[in-house]
This record gives sequence, C-alpha cells and structure tokens, in this order.
Amino acid sequence: MTCGTNGKTTTNNLLCSMLEAQGFRVVSNRLGANMVEGVAAALATAAKGPLGYLAVGYLAAAKGPLGYLAADFACLEVDEASAARVLQDLHPDFMILTGLFRDQLDRYGEIDLTMKALEKAILEAPDMTLVINGDDPLTAYLAKKSAHRIVSYGVNEKVTGDVDVIREGRFCENCGAPLQYDFYHFSQLGVYRCPSCGFGRPEIDYAAYGVRLSPQLSFDIQKINSAPVRISAPMTGFYNVYNILAVFSVLREMKLSTEMFSEVLSSFKPQFGRGEIFHVGEKRRQKVLLNLAKNPAGFNQNISAMLQDRSPKDLIIVINDNAQDGRDVSWLWDVDFDRLADETIRSITVSGLRALDMQLRLKYVDIKSERAPDVEKAIDERLADGCENLYVLVNYTALYEAHKYLEGLEK
Amino acid sequence: MNNDRGNEQYSNSYRLNIVHLYPDLLNLYGDRGNIQCMRMRCKWRGIDAQVTECNLDDHLSLASADIVLLGGGSDREQQIVCTRLQKIRQDLRDYVEDGGSMLAVCGGYQLLGHYYDTPEGRMEGLSLVDLYTEQGSPRLISNIVLRNESLPDALPYEIVGFENHGGRTYIGSNTPFGRVLYGHGNNGKDACEGVLYRGVIGTYLHGPLLPKNPHVCDLLLQRALYRKYGVSLADFPAPDDSLEREANRAVVSRFHSPLAP
Repeated sequence: MTCGTNGKTTTNNLLCSMLEAQGFRVVSNRLGANMVEGVAAALATAAKGPLGYLAVGYLAAAKGPLGYLAADFACLEVDEASAARVLQDLHPDFMILTGLFRDQLDRYGEIDLTMKALEKAILEAPDMTLVINGDDPLTAYLAKKSAHRIVSYGVNEKVTGDVDVIREGRFCENCGAPLQYDFYHFSQLGVYRCPSCGFGRPEIDYAAYGVRLSPQLSFDIQKINSAPVRISAPMTGFYNVYNILAVFSVLREMKLSTEMFSEVLSSFKPQFGRGEIFHVGEKRRQKVLLNLAKNPAGFNQNISAMLQDRSPKDLIIVINDNAQDGRDVSWLWDVDFDRLADETIRSITVSGLRALDMQLRLKYVDIKSERAPDVEKAIDERLADGCENLYVLVNYTALYEAHKYLEGLEK
Repeated sequence: MNNDRGNEQYSNSYRLNIVHLYPDLLNLYGDRGNIQCMRMRCKWRGIDAQVTECNLDDHLSLASADIVLLGGGSDREQQIVCTRLQKIRQDLRDYVEDGGSMLAVCGGYQLLGHYYDTPEGRMEGLSLVDLYTEQGSPRLISNIVLRNESLPDALPYEIVGFENHGGRTYIGSNTPFGRVLYGHGNNGKDACEGVLYRGVIGTYLHGPLLPKNPHVCDLLLQRALYRKYGVSLADFPAPDDSLEREANRAVVSRFHSPLAP
C-alpha cells in the first residue's frame, strides 16, 4: 500500500511495472482512484470465488473463504483520509509513506487532523513494514510512534537551491520545539533534529547520493553495508528521486531482484498526467508536458523541474475547485509563482473554475497572463501559435479533461 | 504591468510598517497573500511598504508598527503562539487602544478574544476584544459572502472568502465585520461574521481575504496612513481593480446560479 500526499501514483505504478517485469501478476489502482471506492473497484477486477465480482475485492483481498485474488501482488495507492478505512479490511505486508504535505485542507480539516487519523489507523494495523521517507519529520514521527518495523529512504546531500518558505511541521511533533535543519530539500523535507527532545531523522537505510537532475535524473542508491547502485531514469524533477527510492527500498525489502531496475526505469513512461509527455502536431514536433500540481509542495517542485528546461516554453495553468480538488484555493498563495518571471517563459494562460483566482495570484507578483474558457481552447491557441514546448500544469479534476484532449491530439 | 503606477514623489515620504506575527506558525491559509496584497497595493500608489516577519524567538516591538497581521494555524500551533503572546499582551492592547490597524484571521481572530474552549481544555486569549470562542461540530467549511453594514463608504460591495473553522465565536454587542449572505459566519446561528473593533478587523475569512477584497485591504491601509500621517488614501493614485472586482463578483454570482457553490 502506498500512502502520502504527493508521489503516490508514480510510486505505485513504478512498483507495479517492476513486479510485472519479473513475471508477477499484479492488481492495482493505477489510474490513481485512491479513495475507498477506487481501491474496492481495483480489487474487484481480480476477484475470483463463489461470489465473483460481488465479493467486491475487499473480501477477496482479505483472503476470506468467499474469494481470492487472481494475482501475486496487490499494489494499491490509498489517499490519506481513506487509509484508516482501508486498513481495517486490508492488511498490507508493506506500507510506503511518501511524505505528508498540506493538501486539500477543507476536506480533512487541517494537517494535524489528517495526521491523527492516519496515525490511529497505522498504530492499530497488524504487523507490517513501514517504508518511509525519512527526510520528512511528520512521516518519521508517525512511523516512530508505531510498533511496526521501519525502513527509511532519503537524500543525504543538499541538491536544490530552492527557496520555499512554507514549512508545515517545522516544529517537533514530539515536544513542540523548533527543529534544527542541516539543510532543506523542499517544504519540510531535509536533514533535521530536535535540539530539545532528541527526536530526529532516522538512520537512512536506502540513501541517495550524487544526485543530478538534468538532462535526466541520475544518482547512487547506497544501502548500508552494500555497494552503491547507479540509477538513471528518463525523468526530471527532484521529487522523482523519492519515488524511485521508495520502489527500490520495497523491492529489496521484499527480497526481490533489482537487477532489471534500470532497464524498467529506462522504459517507464510517466502516465496519467504525472510528467506525461505528448508529441502532437505536424511531424509530432510539438511537445506537450502534462503534470498534476495540486498543492504548494507539488507546484513548487513542478516549477523547479520546468525551469531546469532552459528552452523557450509556453505555460498553461488550470485550477478547479471541485470536491476532489479541495474547495479552498488559498494554497495558490503559498506557491512561489514569482519564479515564473523567467525569460524562458513566453506566455502564461490560465483556465479552470478558479482561473480568476489564478490570474489575480499572478497579478500580485507582477506577472501578466491570458485567460481561456477551457483547457482545450488554451491548448489549441498555443499550438496554433506554433509553440513547440508547452507545459500544462493542472490540479486534480482538470487532469482528466486535459489528459483526454492531449491523448486525442496525439492520435 | 499597467497597474504599476509607482510614483517617485511619494516613495520617500510615506512608509507603512507591516508586522506579520509568527508566520512560522500561523501560516495555514495563504496568509502570505494578505501580506503580498498590502505590499503591492502600497507599491502601486508609491507608498513604501516594509514587511517585518516576527517569528517565535524574535523580539517584538510594536512602537513603529502601522499594520499588524495575525494569521491562522492549526490548534497545536495556536497553542504554542498563545503561550508566547501572553508575554506581549499589554503591548498589543496598547497598540489596539491607540487605534492601530490590525487584521486577525481565523486562529488569529479567536486569539483576540478572552478564550477558546476545546474538549482538551481552555486556550487563553489576549482579551483585546470582548468575544469568546467554543469548539463545535461539525467544522464550518464553505465559500462565504458578507455584506458590511457599518462602513458603507469604505466597504460598498460584498466581501468574499472561504471559511474553515471548528470554533463558534460570540461577539456580544460588538460590531460584526459583515452580515452573512451565504455561508456560516461566526457561529452558524446569528448571521454575523467577524468583528470590527477600533482599528481591528477579526474574521474567519481566508482565501486569502485581501486580494479578492481590495476594499478591505484599502481600509487597513487608509487607517494606517491616517493614523501615521493624517492623510487619506484617496490622495494617492487609485490602482485598477477591474480584475479584483471580477474575481469578487465571480464568487458572489456562484450563489445566484443553480449550480452548487
């Protein structure tokens, strides 16, 4: 089971690809439908037994007498608020926690409440191995409080020079004192310790060193007492280092081979709008990159990845405020949009139900933008202008529309 | 940008000091946006805006403060701030009684009052304004539209925002910030939202509050400017607010359409 604010879908899909490459049958919710219904639906597709589909996966996965799963592994991404419910029925052997960031405040109340619900569910779950992002103090504290076995991954050196002032959880979860950091990666992630109570970053079992972000990701993974493994992946974005680390750690802990790791990575295509690339237009010369950006931590990382590409580009931002997005869009003001005043960005177009909020946000950092009635129109206009490098950053419910349209254009 | 009408003749003469209290703890709902809004609306008028971030371990002096922002945090963070604020309670009280301009949002608004009662116990407030808060259930979460009735000249059109609070606040005979047209307000019962007391605006509205409510931002600036220099904001070139007004109207009009807000 994979849980956490950002990186669930990429981590889970990459894990599935790794397992399938070794010939295992895998059942998963790859499309990112990660609330209780989505998890049940995914399991139902592989459920067998006297009740067939009616066993609705849950029973099947619980290995009850009424059904079983026609698969070797179930890899499920579960959203933070649903994890408590899902953990009542499903008992994973491994649970990956990718990190906890401010996300969809109006659905969960506040980050502390999310933490409490998740903490309770994890504490009460039968024995499992927690594979955690050790760079995140919120996640590390949650894991430490449980009696589960903990395996941690992290990045042991300073990689990015991002200035990113939103640091939820900067205070020690245990005693409330300000945490001391050797350095930050982004948001509250980094190398930290509490000077007051001694809580700190756990010893990292799988550590990344020598991280390069361009032209593509490469780094070494060092497991304690073993030789480093060089990783190279056709992806960008620092956050993908964590996604890859999580998958590598789980495979090793499952005692499965990581021999094919680089090979699978090299052919892994980000999908479903997680850094997915489309080639459209005449001779497919026009490149469009679609990425989900649904909270400050994710958006800031997206901006960093985009600005590493130094060729001219146009940008489309689509912001909705449907229930799944979170009705509250105040998080837009916690994103470092001033960084979009960059000479490689030729134009910015905003759309979505909260296009005006987005346009206003940009106005208050002196950045001009156009408004388009919908994402299709916005994409059409930029492509008609001859744009060969288009970035489309969207939040959750805008993703499906944008994805569907770009898929159509590519055909 | 066509809005940027920075005017050199003012820039050396008028300066407002904005103090942002504990942004390291009270930063939950895009409060940075309120600061950025004040900063830019000063800049567009040629007023020099200095922002001082006062973190937990910094020494706080309100002697030169012209506008104070107290934002919202989670209950745990609020508790940390609450303990710290008791030490400067008198300074804050003097500032408020002297007519100092202040915006307190969500958790910051609750701290203005006498106390905030939760099942875990009582959080002592600053008693700057005669109000109190009790935790209730469920959380009141909604887009919200207000109409101010006490300051028709300064606040001639709706105030819009987003509310997300478990606390129910009771302001007694104080003047509310606005009457609730849509949404829940202070306690979901008396159709009042927020409080106005001397130069203080206390409110549950974030979103953040100021960018889509430029009239509220300008009210804070006007009060600060008048208190410090005896001049009116109207003496400065007015920025073009068409985009702000459009964004404001878009929230109001959601409640007039058959679609759910």
